[in-house]
Amino acid sequence: MTPTNSKRTITMKRLLPILMIALTLSLSVSAYAAAPGITGPTFNLVANANYISQPDGQMIYSWGYGCNGAPAGFKPSMPGDFCNGMQIPGPTLIVTEGVPVTVTLTNNLPAAAGNTSILFPGMNVATTGGSPGLLTAEAAHGATVTYTLTATTPGTRAYYSGTQGDLQVEMGLFGAIIVLPATVPPNCNGAIPTSNAAAQAFNGETDFRLAHAAYDHPDSCYDREYLFQFSEMDPRIHTQVEAQAGKTCAASTGCLEVATEPYHPNYFMVNGRSMPDDMDSNYATQYPQQPYNGDPHMHPGELTLLRIIGQGRWQHPFHEHGNHVRILARDGNLVLSQSPDPGNPSVNALAGPLLFTTTTTPGLAMDGIFYWTGKGLNWDILGHGYAGDPTPATLTCDINGYFTSDPTAPNYFEWCQDHGVALESHPFGQVAAGGPVTLPNANILTNGAWYGGSAYLGPDATSRATGPNGTTPPSGTIANSPSGEAGLAFMWHSHNEREITTNNIFPGGMMMMMLVDPRVFVIDESK
Amino acid sequence: MRKLYQVWMPIFLICLVATAANAQTFSVQCPATTPLHPKATTDPNPVGGSIKCQQISGGDGLATMADGSQTYLFSFGPLSGLNDIAAGLPGTQSQSVFMTPFDPNAGPGDPASNGAVGLVSDTDGVTIQVPDPNSVTGGTLTQSVCPPGTAIATDGSKRSCYTGHVDPRAIMDVGVMNGNIPAPMMAIDEDDEYFLTLTNVGMIMRPDLFEQHTVHFHGYPNASSFYDGVPDASVAINIGGSFTYYYLAPDAGTYFWHCHITPPEHLQMGMVGQLYVRPRQNRTALNSSLLANWTAQQTNPRTASNCAADILCSAPKPAVSTATRGNNKSLSPTLYAYNDGDGSTAYDVEYPLQIHGFDPNFHFVGMTFNPEGFADMKDKYFLLNGRSYPDTTNMAGYQDTTGNVGSGNSAFVGAPTSSTAMYTQDVDGVQRPSQPLNAVVNIPVGGRALLRISDLDVSEYQTLASLGIPMHVVGLNARLLRDTAGNNLAYDSNSITLAGGESLDVILDASDTIKYPAGQTYYLYTPNLDHLSNDAENFGGLMTEVHICNSVDPSSKVCK
Repeated sequence: MTPTNSKRTITMKRLLPILMIALTLSLSVSAYAAAPGITGPTFNLVANANYISQPDGQMIYSWGYGCNGAPAGFKPSMPGDFCNGMQIPGPTLIVTEGVPVTVTLTNNLPAAAGNTSILFPGMNVATTGGSPGLLTAEAAHGATVTYTLTATTPGTRAYYSGTQGDLQVEMGLFGAIIVLPATVPPNCNGAIPTSNAAAQAFNGETDFRLAHAAYDHPDSCYDREYLFQFSEMDPRIHTQVEAQAGKTCAASTGCLEVATEPYHPNYFMVNGRSMPDDMDSNYATQYPQQPYNGDPHMHPGELTLLRIIGQGRWQHPFHEHGNHVRILARDGNLVLSQSPDPGNPSVNALAGPLLFTTTTTPGLAMDGIFYWTGKGLNWDILGHGYAGDPTPATLTCDINGYFTSDPTAPNYFEWCQDHGVALESHPFGQVAAGGPVTLPNANILTNGAWYGGSAYLGPDATSRATGPNGTTPPSGTIANSPSGEAGLAFMWHSHNEREITTNNIFPGGMMMMMLVDPRVFVIDESK
Repeated sequence: MRKLYQVWMPIFLICLVATAANAQTFSVQCPATTPLHPKATTDPNPVGGSIKCQQISGGDGLATMADGSQTYLFSFGPLSGLNDIAAGLPGTQSQSVFMTPFDPNAGPGDPASNGAVGLVSDTDGVTIQVPDPNSVTGGTLTQSVCPPGTAIATDGSKRSCYTGHVDPRAIMDVGVMNGNIPAPMMAIDEDDEYFLTLTNVGMIMRPDLFEQHTVHFHGYPNASSFYDGVPDASVAINIGGSFTYYYLAPDAGTYFWHCHITPPEHLQMGMVGQLYVRPRQNRTALNSSLLANWTAQQTNPRTASNCAADILCSAPKPAVSTATRGNNKSLSPTLYAYNDGDGSTAYDVEYPLQIHGFDPNFHFVGMTFNPEGFADMKDKYFLLNGRSYPDTTNMAGYQDTTGNVGSGNSAFVGAPTSSTAMYTQDVDGVQRPSQPLNAVVNIPVGGRALLRISDLDVSEYQTLASLGIPMHVVGLNARLLRDTAGNNLAYDSNSITLAGGESLDVILDASDTIKYPAGQTYYLYTPNLDHLSNDAENFGGLMTEVHICNSVDPSSKVCK
């Protein structure tokens, strides 16, 4: 390698894995997310050591919670779902408001680790057995402790080790608990939720929601949901722990001499995986210790519930490209106004902010609603308005200006005002003409791996827009081809941009591509 | 292998240049009319707003840090609105100004001082052939070169007009090494159509890199991925190419923009800029009801904010409002940050402030040909508008060695005398304006200043505190702080904390003239005390001054 081309070499080196992954994605079935977990109300968990996989090829010695035998059930049920004896994040515990929950924890960590435990912040927890600890009862090496709790409010919360947290949480002892509302507000099975469900059913999609509402509140309805847990890792700590894990030890505080400061993390993970691994499927067999992915997909207009948790010890500004997120709640507490809700005056209105960057702080969980519709672009993202367009010139629209009257239509939830409105002045291909812009010669542009091949959404518009000679994909559009998904890709990532790297290689880390998919594309979150 | 590379690469590159010379790869777009704005900009269009345009270069440059050292940047620079940018103003121009060819000798006030660099006229010989959108066999249509209404001269049967054709030589003469930090400022009004042309002039200090650039409009609601600027999800612009981004201005608010190529690198290296959208409420007639203006917006689903039916309603109906639009301290109609309907975001003068951080080690590595580390990035310059204290307060404009503001750069001969731009000598010996915007906040006595604060630091959170005047936080992430029932959630604070990728609107309310009399100076500074430094100097950093003035010109921001 000559000094003059070293950076280029690195760039190619860093491009190659992503191209390979993209190619794999295009050859195999794409992966989607949901918010999968295990059901109780009795959970038998175990803390274990094992190795987790990172996209730079490293296997990192870590500690994690896992299942002590088969769980009571998986929700949503997916083919190939599993809960091994150690995973990062720990199993997502799915419980219901008001239902008593029992969590039994067995400590199978190395004796040198000492005791371990679980904290459920925000919950009123009773303990049985175990050894006394500073923050809660602990499980000694090889022993067991039991926690019982009843969630009194719905929502998403973190759980994590309450023993030597600076070391044990860093090693991976954290997870999420999702509390489903006892009753779903009736409007969440009302007009738009019903027609969204009808559109999903018409196109052959399965409903992977845990519930139809996040809270007992009429503004918390949702059509799709995703859980993202952010954590970071300093591999030097993990290496030292692994080296000392074999020490003979009988002390409750363990026998490890590992400095947790100064702290220099260089792995930045979403649900225990770094990009691009996070976009592989849930329960992918290549990640036996990292079953959960981060690979959100949605159709236009679907209310998408984001369950976001900061694990680890750093803050991460998570930037959602594409639209704002309405924050519903923090740590399972709805953020409400003192005044009546304008749509449902019997309850108080939402008071959470609209955010395009949802900062995760350690231990903080938040729930928010996101959607994407393409409203207000001033051009038809479906490329209507060409000669011979079978859609009517004007659409019948709902109060928000969307075409929602026909859930079987491929343009269901189209933004009506821009129906047939041209983008291009003189398009190459069959889309509306007479618009404001001229697209440049494609030879001066470089196409991204998730570029659908045109400015437009969907295989129909993309095929028409890419030219009169058919559907040949423009080069490079390999993860989202016009003949396949043809969605719109948006990067969701940490805006502490150095965290979208994996061990100093870009791209990686806390990054994923969110896809807004055309209605005709089937989002199967079990794959 | 290495020898082959050395032999064939130049040949390949020469071939590339030869090919590129045949294609018109640099261009701008800024139509006089569009379907949404069918009238020329001087006529009011039914939808409101007008056509606005801007041209920027993507390349490199140098900036001067507050300890005197020069720092290498990957950066954007202005290729339109040069005079306004040198004066610390947004570079966004009306269609008629933008389509006036830039003249480096034009004085302030002359549209040619703010027009598009490189613009050349086309003579309308007869016609050209363009692809027929309705042809399935690749047919063409005949079209006149000069679109209707664009002719600037007629000579017998021929007309000439500006169609967006540019001369690459002028682009390169101005664009190479003209990087700014922050990048050229953009400001549009709700209902505007905004044509933003990015021209990639290459990075002359890093000829080994073939870096593309993009523009990410951070926070654009319901963005199209095509114009979202993420290279993985769309197209990226190669060296030698121009791309025109097209936006209908979204809901009012303080947004920001940046390149999205290899973000940890390009953002750290300086490709970050300011962008805000002004509300429709600024078009309310004097002494008219603000609530009536809000209500009028509810008839159109695009501009409506219906919290009863839309969970992402952006400007909820105010719970209480009897406010009308009055005059501000400079005796012009008051401006607002949001469509608040109740006047709660009124201000007298506005100041965009962008927080950033530079790691000098990373910038040194970025200037050389070495692999970069990301995880241990450590910022040592803490920047407000690309400057650290005391440069944040510089009012005079940097002068070159002969004492002339802006001399040595032909592009800036016409720079206004009110320019506070800092100049940095580039490797070719030319002084170029590198940091056009200071961070001084001048408030007219008894007035309110809107601080549009954005943060694009790539490595850590930063806090900005006010010593003296409380910070009244009215907006967050380009949205009004108000619950969906219409109660204002604005709050008073003495500090705000932002991560990279966040923005927030603060009103410094100095309406109490007893507490805040004219002539007083206050400070904005960071309580992250290690950020009050300029690399090795234990002094400076993220700090600036707030002055209470007898009056402030809302455009030039000059304190009197």
